[in-house]
Amino acid sequence: MDGEVLRLSNTPTSSRQLARLVWASRELISTLARKEFFVRYRRATFGVLWAAGLPLVQATVLAIVFSHVVRIHTANSYPVFVFTGMSVWTYFTTTTTAGSTAIVDNTSLTNKIYFPRAILPLVQVRANLYGLAINVVIVIALALGFGQSLDAHLLILLPATALLVLLCSGLVLTLAALHVYFRDVRYIVQAVFTGLLYLTPVFVPLGRYPVALRRVVLANPATGIAQLFHLAIDGTAFEWPKAVAITAAWTVVLCFVAVRIHCSRDRVFADLL
Amino acid sequence: MIELAGVGKRYVKYHDAPMLTHALIKLAARTRRDQLWALRGVDLTVEPGHCVGVVGRNGSGKSTMLQLLGGITAPTEGTVTVKGRVAPLIAVGVGFHPELTGRDNVFLNGTILGMSRRDIERQFDAIVDFAEIADFIDTPVKFYSSGMQVRLGFAVAVQADPNVLLVDEVLAVGDFAFQIKCLRRIDEIRANGASVLLVSHNLSMIERLCPNTMVLHDGTVRFNGLTAEAIATLHSLLDVAETKDAGGVPHAEGLAEITEFVVNDANGAPVSAASTGDRLTARITVKALQAIARPFVGLTIDGPRGDTIYHKGNRHEPFPALHAGEERTYTVAWTAQFPTGSYIVRLFVAKVEGVGEISVLSTAKPVALYVQGADETYGVVDVAAEFSGD
Repeated sequence: MDGEVLRLSNTPTSSRQLARLVWASRELISTLARKEFFVRYRRATFGVLWAAGLPLVQATVLAIVFSHVVRIHTANSYPVFVFTGMSVWTYFTTTTTAGSTAIVDNTSLTNKIYFPRAILPLVQVRANLYGLAINVVIVIALALGFGQSLDAHLLILLPATALLVLLCSGLVLTLAALHVYFRDVRYIVQAVFTGLLYLTPVFVPLGRYPVALRRVVLANPATGIAQLFHLAIDGTAFEWPKAVAITAAWTVVLCFVAVRIHCSRDRVFADLL
Repeated sequence: MIELAGVGKRYVKYHDAPMLTHALIKLAARTRRDQLWALRGVDLTVEPGHCVGVVGRNGSGKSTMLQLLGGITAPTEGTVTVKGRVAPLIAVGVGFHPELTGRDNVFLNGTILGMSRRDIERQFDAIVDFAEIADFIDTPVKFYSSGMQVRLGFAVAVQADPNVLLVDEVLAVGDFAFQIKCLRRIDEIRANGASVLLVSHNLSMIERLCPNTMVLHDGTVRFNGLTAEAIATLHSLLDVAETKDAGGVPHAEGLAEITEFVVNDANGAPVSAASTGDRLTARITVKALQAIARPFVGLTIDGPRGDTIYHKGNRHEPFPALHAGEERTYTVAWTAQFPTGSYIVRLFVAKVEGVGEISVLSTAKPVALYVQGADETYGVVDVAAEFSGD
C-alpha cells in the first residue's frame, strides 16, 4: 500500500476501484479462510480429520437409509447420487448461512479497521471450499467403491465448482449487505434453506419430481449446480442445460446487485454496526 | 500526510424498532429520521514529520475523526485525504484469535493491517523482539496476559514503517516501561517522516509529543494551535459535574446555603490555573438558615481521570456554632502537589451531630483547576524528586 492515497468523500466507490481493493486483499481472504477452517478443528484430538470423518458418517447413514428404506431408481448407485447432491447442498447452505451474516458478525474487525467489507462474506465462500474438496474426494471414492465407472465427465466438476463459487459469492454479498440494514435476513435465510433442500435434486432426481413441482425445482439456483455434479459423477443428468442456464441467470443478476450495493455502501456499513 | 477539508459526518439515529418494519413504516408515512452531526466543518493538516494532538470530552467527535482517518467510514461532506501506509494503533491486536499461537496471530493481524506475508516474515524477529515475548511466541494467545497481548499487537502495528500513525488510548494499557518504549517508538516513526495524530485524554502525553493540538467540542473545532493554549481551551470547556455523592452521607436540605466558592492563589486572586507546588486557598462563604451547632467543611479533589485523589474535612475540629441567619467565610489552604492536568476542586459544608453523625448541608458548584507541572513529570502526585550525584 506504499505511496497510496486514500481520498474519502460522500461519493460511492467505483466498481473498478472496489474490484482493485478486493483483489489487493486476496491474501487477507485466504488467511482468514484458513483460520476459519482450521480453528474449527483446533481443539479436537483428531483435528482436521473430522472434516472428512463427519461427511463419511453422513454418507454411510444416507446410503443405508436410502437404499433400504426409500427405493428410488437412479442411473447408477443411489447412495452415490445422494452424496453427490449432499456435497453441493452442504457447501451451498453452510456458505450462505455463514456468509449472509458475515459483515455483522465480524463487528470486532469492521469497527476497527478498513478493508472492503465484501471480503468477509467471500471468506466464507473460500473457507468452505476445503470441506467441498474433501466431500468431492469422498464422492469419487464412494463411486469407485460402488463399482461405478468414472470418465471424462469428471472434468465438469471444475466449471461446476466455478459456477457454484460465483453463485454463492453473488448471493452472500447481496444478503450480507442487506443483513446490515435488515437483521431479519438471518432468520429468513434459515427458514428458506430449511425448505429449499427438498426443492434441490439431492434425494430425488430432477426427472422424478412431479411436472408441476419440477418448474419450482428448476427455478432454484442450486439445481443447476447439483445437476452439473450429478452429470460429472453419473455421466447423465436430467435437463441439465436448462437448469444450468437458470443458475447462470441467477448468478449474473445476484453478482450485479451485489456489486451495486457494495459500491454504494462499502464505506458506510460500519455506521450501522 | 493527513488532510481534512470541511469534513462533516452525520449519523442517522435509528429507533429501537427493527429496521425492516421501520423501513416499511417510513415508506408508508415518509417520516423524517433523526439526524446527528458527530463532526462538522473540520479542517486539519498533519504534515509528514509532525504530530498533532486531538483532545475533547467524551462525545466530542474524537472517535468519529479516527474512524474517518482509518477509512472505516466515509464523511457525509468534505474530503478526507490520507497519503501512504496507515498504522492505526486504534486497531491494535485486531483479529487476534485466542486459540491460535502468537506466531499465527502475528500473521493474521499483520494481514488484516494490510501487510503482505513477505513483509511480515521479514519483520517477524523485530516484532517478537519489540513485544518481548520470544519465549511464548508458539503459545496460544489465550494464555497471554492482557499486557502481553497489547505488546504483541502494538509490535505488529508499529513495525510496518507507516507513513501515518493514528494513536488513541491504547497506550493506557500495558506496563509503564512498555508505554515509555511505545512513546519513544512513535516519536521515532514521526522523526522518520510520518504524520502522527494522537487522540488522548492523557494531557501529559499530548504535551510531550504534540506541539500543536486541536480541541473538539460537540463535533466542532474549538481551537487548533499551540498545545498549551489548547489545554487551556479544553479546560474552560470542562463540564464539571455539579454534585458527586460522597459514599451515602445523608443530606440535610434547607439548613444552610453556600453563597460563594472560589479558589484563590497566594495573593488572594481567583485562579483557574496554577503551577505544581503553588499554595492555594479554597474560600467558601456559608449562610446559615437555621442554627447549626458544629459546622465543618470538606475538600475533595478529583484527578484528570475522574477519580478522587484527595479528601479531607475538619469534622473532628468543627467551626464554632452558627446562629440562624449568620453568614461566615471559611478558608482551606492547600498545595497543588500534582503533575500537569485538569483537576476538579469540590467543597461542601456539613454538620456533626451526636456522636460523629454527619450530614451534608450544601455542596458548592465545583471549580475546575488546570495545573501546569514540570516537564517530564508523569503520574498522580508530584513528589518533587531531585537528582544529584557525587
